[in-house]
Amino acid sequence: MSASRDAILVKNISKTFPSRQGAPVAALEDINLTVKEGEFLCIVGPSGCGKSTLLRILAGLEEPTSGEVVVTVKEEGKPVNSMVFQEQSLLPWYTVKDNVSYGLAMRGVPKPERERIADHYLKMTDLSRFAHAYPYQLSGGMKQRVSVARAFANDPAILLLDEPFGSLDEQTRVLLQQELLKIWEGSNKTAIFITHSIDEALGLGDRVLVMTARPGKVKAILDIDLPRPRDLTVIRSQPRFLDLFHLIWFSLREEVVKARTEELR
Amino acid sequence: MRTEGKLGKLVSFFSPALLLILWEVLARTGLVDIRLFSCPSRIMKTFGPVLLSGELLYHSWISVRRIILGFVAGAVPGVILGLSMGLFPLVRAALEPMVAATFPIPKLAIMPLILLVFGLGESSKVFTIAIGVFYLVLINTMAGVLSIDKIYLDVAKNYGASRWNFYRTVALPGALPMIFAGFKLGMGTALLLIVAAELSAARAGVGYWIWRAYDMFDIERMFVALITMSVLGYLLSYLLDFIEQRVIPWKAPHA
Repeated sequence: MSASRDAILVKNISKTFPSRQGAPVAALEDINLTVKEGEFLCIVGPSGCGKSTLLRILAGLEEPTSGEVVVTVKEEGKPVNSMVFQEQSLLPWYTVKDNVSYGLAMRGVPKPERERIADHYLKMTDLSRFAHAYPYQLSGGMKQRVSVARAFANDPAILLLDEPFGSLDEQTRVLLQQELLKIWEGSNKTAIFITHSIDEALGLGDRVLVMTARPGKVKAILDIDLPRPRDLTVIRSQPRFLDLFHLIWFSLREEVVKARTEELR
Repeated sequence: MRTEGKLGKLVSFFSPALLLILWEVLARTGLVDIRLFSCPSRIMKTFGPVLLSGELLYHSWISVRRIILGFVAGAVPGVILGLSMGLFPLVRAALEPMVAATFPIPKLAIMPLILLVFGLGESSKVFTIAIGVFYLVLINTMAGVLSIDKIYLDVAKNYGASRWNFYRTVALPGALPMIFAGFKLGMGTALLLIVAAELSAARAGVGYWIWRAYDMFDIERMFVALITMSVLGYLLSYLLDFIEQRVIPWKAPHA
């Protein structure tokens, strides 16, 4: 990871949701965070800790109750961020290629240019054969590949990924993680990746942020000093990987237990 | 599985044939009153001359033209208003009480009023069908817009869609399956209304034909007209399916 400029400053972000029972629910509490340009940051936390909410705030899809997000990597004519969503989010009425070039079309990029960029990313994600297929004809893994291609094709400064591989089977997931790494390593994009899998966070991230149970706070941030480029199958058997795994697991376990007792109450 | 499918097809082919044979036998043995229910052989005998003389095609054409004109006249404003009501809460708030209050009125009940307003000409028939189609298309279109998955709104926003682009790339295509469901329901209603509309003050059309056969007590001709109605209904709904498959190629089959 190159020591570079700041990309995003998250300052004292809190978020509360109104609830039907009356008392508002605190989802996030006083989150402070600096993300470096070109960094791959993974966020792990127990379910319901507000990590998706944090990402949605960073994406501008939701407003924080207090605090602010300052993005310092804005580039003229390019989008600030593009999101890879957790669930099926491809527009069913567009072909794979039209989905990949959706952001470009919305920005008014001329068609030949759009086609060229879409073709490039379809090739990188091994989807060229399916350019004219509709989403209903694709498997879950292929859909998420298209989703990743759509985000990269949009050429944002920041990639936001909300558990993009969470619903896939293990083999497909590892394959897509490796593909994501390959494309990301060839770009210089800042990436923020939400996951509940420690394995995934360790394999992908430069740093891993552990969140507390609800209301979500920053519990710990760990540097992942594993060399790049990474081969996910090799990296998993390294002693350093196992050390870091334990470190994160013990940090996370407390919170998972807390979240569970909260649920059972 | 395969044999089951084949067997199913065989059964589907022979069961109507069996019914026709049964009908014929019952009629010939006098167990069914031939003056009221006729029989397949007599109907077939009437069918030939009626087809050759052009009588059948003439009445069919008149009815189909009314149905299509009325369908378009009802569906187009139905889609436009339905989209507006789905997209703009204020428009919805303004129009929903009126729609809710007038929709339950049976369309047949306002036929006398339509006749008074539009007279005895073509426009009264077309309007009767249009009003029946209009409500069903309107309500389905609005529901179609409102039921678009929220995730697509997030996608449009995150990928920088302008307001107009959101309508064009998310709202309209997202509502299309429901719009077509409205079209199909509307077509069913149109077939129902055409017969009623042609009962009063019409000089042609399949509905008129049925009622005239009633006046003349020409049961065979009436059955020919009923069969024509069934074929027309089938063809018109087939036409809608055909258009739907072209307009919504992205819809998963049987989903």
